[in-house]
Amino acid sequence: MLPWVYEFHWTPFHIIFLSVFFTVFMVVAATLTTALRRTAKAHATGAAEAILWHSDFEDLAPAARSCRHQFTGDVAHRQCDHAFDCRTCPLHRTFPPLEGRGVSPLTLQEDVLGFAMPADRMYHRGHTWVAPDNEGNYLVGLDDFGKRIIGTADAKELPPVGSRVTVNGTGWKVRTHKAALRILSPVDGEVTAHGGAEDAWTLKVRPAENGNGTEHLLRGAEVRPWIMREMERLQVSFATAGVGATLADGGELVPDFHRHFPKADWDGVLGQMFLEA
Amino acid sequence: MVIDLDRCNGCGACAVACAVENNVPPAHQQANTRNAVSLMNVSAVSNHEQFPAGDTAYIPMFCQQCENETPCMTVCPQNAVDVDPVTGIVGQVPQRCLGCRYCMTACPYHARTFNWRDPEWTDGMKAQLNPAVAPRMRGVVEKCNFCHGRLHAAREKAAAAGRNEIDPADYVPACVASCPTNAITFGDLNDEESDVCRLSKSDGAFRFLARLGTEPKVYYHTTKPWVRALAERSLTRTRQEEFHG
Amino acid sequence: MDSLLIPRGVQRTTFGRFLLWLLPWSALLLVGLYAIYLCLIEGLYHTNMDNRFAFGIWIFLDLTVIALGAGAFFTGFLLYILRRTELKAVINSAVIIGLICYSGAVLVLMVDVGQPLRAWFTFWHPNTHSMLTEVTFCLTCYLIVLLIEYIPIVLKNRQLRQIPKFLVFEFQLHKLMPVFAGIGTLLSFFHQGSLGGLFGVLRGRPFAFREELGIWPSTFFLFVISAAAAGPSFIMLTTRLAEAVTRKRLVRDDVYRFLGRVSGIMLIAYVLLKTVDTLIWINSTSPGSGFPAFEFYATRSFGTWILFTEIVLFGLLPALVLLSDRMRRNRRVLFTAGALVCCGVLLNRFVMTIQTLALPTLPFDAFLTYLPSWEEVAAFLFVIAYGMILYSVTYRYATVFPQEKELSMARADAAEAPAPSFPRRPSFVTALIDRFASSKL
Repeated sequence: MLPWVYEFHWTPFHIIFLSVFFTVFMVVAATLTTALRRTAKAHATGAAEAILWHSDFEDLAPAARSCRHQFTGDVAHRQCDHAFDCRTCPLHRTFPPLEGRGVSPLTLQEDVLGFAMPADRMYHRGHTWVAPDNEGNYLVGLDDFGKRIIGTADAKELPPVGSRVTVNGTGWKVRTHKAALRILSPVDGEVTAHGGAEDAWTLKVRPAENGNGTEHLLRGAEVRPWIMREMERLQVSFATAGVGATLADGGELVPDFHRHFPKADWDGVLGQMFLEA
Repeated sequence: MVIDLDRCNGCGACAVACAVENNVPPAHQQANTRNAVSLMNVSAVSNHEQFPAGDTAYIPMFCQQCENETPCMTVCPQNAVDVDPVTGIVGQVPQRCLGCRYCMTACPYHARTFNWRDPEWTDGMKAQLNPAVAPRMRGVVEKCNFCHGRLHAAREKAAAAGRNEIDPADYVPACVASCPTNAITFGDLNDEESDVCRLSKSDGAFRFLARLGTEPKVYYHTTKPWVRALAERSLTRTRQEEFHG
Repeated sequence: MDSLLIPRGVQRTTFGRFLLWLLPWSALLLVGLYAIYLCLIEGLYHTNMDNRFAFGIWIFLDLTVIALGAGAFFTGFLLYILRRTELKAVINSAVIIGLICYSGAVLVLMVDVGQPLRAWFTFWHPNTHSMLTEVTFCLTCYLIVLLIEYIPIVLKNRQLRQIPKFLVFEFQLHKLMPVFAGIGTLLSFFHQGSLGGLFGVLRGRPFAFREELGIWPSTFFLFVISAAAAGPSFIMLTTRLAEAVTRKRLVRDDVYRFLGRVSGIMLIAYVLLKTVDTLIWINSTSPGSGFPAFEFYATRSFGTWILFTEIVLFGLLPALVLLSDRMRRNRRVLFTAGALVCCGVLLNRFVMTIQTLALPTLPFDAFLTYLPSWEEVAAFLFVIAYGMILYSVTYRYATVFPQEKELSMARADAAEAPAPSFPRRPSFVTALIDRFASSKL
């Protein structure tokens, strides 16, 4: 380069100037390459699902990120910092398990604000339920709250039998008349069967051998306060979705109720309720 | 180079010779004095007196070949301006010039011009082009380089004769050769014996904008006090009375 | 129609109205494109620049937009290096504004030079003494950095992030963002400075020439500081403009106030240094080169008022306003002060470029005037139109203001509160839950 320029003489100034700027250029290039290399690596190990969830979680409104221990009054106010994965949360471990605390009067009701929330199931914050079947598999389905706000789905895209699902990764996809949704998987494992129209469940999942169990799922006394907060969230998101004031106290959600608000930003509402950015 | 302003009668022969020698294209119909290519300009200045005290001087202005921190050379981003360490002549490499015009902004003498248009010659004029000088394309800056073509010719002649040094008589820029009043003297300022050296040190010799510290290698000479005063002022319009020192 | 491309939970106008909004800008873009075509293909004689006014409105406005675009580097520096997390609310918009300003400036520069295809020569035959070399190197590198910083904003688009590779790349890139922010700061420091140095080194132009501090003239440092002052103000103004156009709240007031404070702090430092610099120049530098400074202001319209306006009206005044917490709380005062800061930078760049060239140096020379041709104006309007379109499209399809969703919710919440027939459900439910919870444990 330079030495071939007519009558060029190197000076210390040249060396400083050129080394600074070519270093900068190299650092930019190296950083970009690092990002690309890490991307290829992370992509190969299937980190995309986890990243998608973490990125979605970061974008959730503060009200949607409240810690489950707020529901039971263990803490007055806390934002989850573990992306709803209580299995790795150190704080979660410090509280005694709910089962040991005796039966709360709330758990006896399976009807929560008009939603059927059977007490023998565990619930994921993304409105799916999990129930173990007698063969040691998990049955996974959409909870009543989720079903009612989605209404009749136009299309459902289930993961093929034999594929793996991970907690907070994509469970399956749903398309309604105005929204495309990703339903989060509540458990780790391998999909072994699809539920038919007559089944209550949607996926049958064989638990992953290295899976961390179901510690992260809501159960018992937590369900009712959780659903109450979800109703609150639904109400706020409606207000921003161009519907205005709705859901005054005391009512229940009618099945397929979104047909009554054709102009609402359903995509926005459902995205918030199913924890998707 | 030393220019005797007392001898200059403003005929402009130097500017014409310069244009012909350096293949400066004829100005476009719509061009004006500010955007036509011209390597040499002659300006008239007056002492603003009534007859009989009224007087006019003519100042040929072109590249002053600054020696110290040559403003145009230091600012050019891509070394398209070079100062020949042997002759001290500031040269321009149009093939490398980007046309950013930063050098034109830097030049205190406004001695650089930009090729705003494609150069155009009529067929007859094409036949008159100087084969020793490459024409410049649109979008580059050019300036006086003391007739580089003539320097090359002198060097070739010296080489052919087996000499290392050129004969000063062989290298005379076009403006110098064409001046009918012999107002311009050209030579090696470092040569104590030469006429230019003697004239540049004579009484009445001065340089424009000398206080900028760029050490130009073009000197002017006058015996008229008002021209001297003018040259030493920077902005004239405001304080005319000071011209008569 | 394009609803699945729009971020969730925010309101955007219909596709038709969006196109209607883009229409006038596209028209302007086409006119500008034609002007650029004329200048590039037919030659620069389409401009009103000439051998004496070798730099015109393009260089003046390039310097200005680059100073205004400094918000990108300064916000990045404050957010990623000094960890002022409140600036997360405007970092995306700062990056877009920076990208528009820098790419626009580079584009106009490419039209401005006579032989744009030779631009790469600077990398091959660099003259390391030239400020313009420094500018070229830094601008090129920084434009690349800005493009890299812009990628995550685009990849965060709702549909693009569905593509796993994009998603992971965005994530990885975001993790490395402090590196880019650091490099951006370094590069910006150098080229904002060298743009100032560009004129400060002009020994042949005593009006612009300044004393050297180290290897750079004082204008180097003045330009860095003034750009750092104007950048945050410009972010403030453009965000306010976006709020006005979209009729929405996009960032919280405390963010505006913080930007105002940053601007004020930098500006007061600038005003002090500029005053010292001007005094040194008047008393030493300028007379030293044979030009008493008052003579520069004796010429026609460029009187000393210009110096007063630059330093006091557009400098000291907004600086004092922005430093007062009480003044910053008044939105109107805050934005007016921000506008004054930007005007100050505009005037300073005008003085350094246009006034420098208008003033004669040779004793028999006249004061020069110059009016830009329509091609010059149109080519610059091209940049504004291009900026508007890029900003609008990014705003519509990507999350530029992370606080927008939250603010629209807060607003909907506030809007429903006064309705008398409607009990405040959230507080009611929360109270209920709290009662149940406390009674149980």
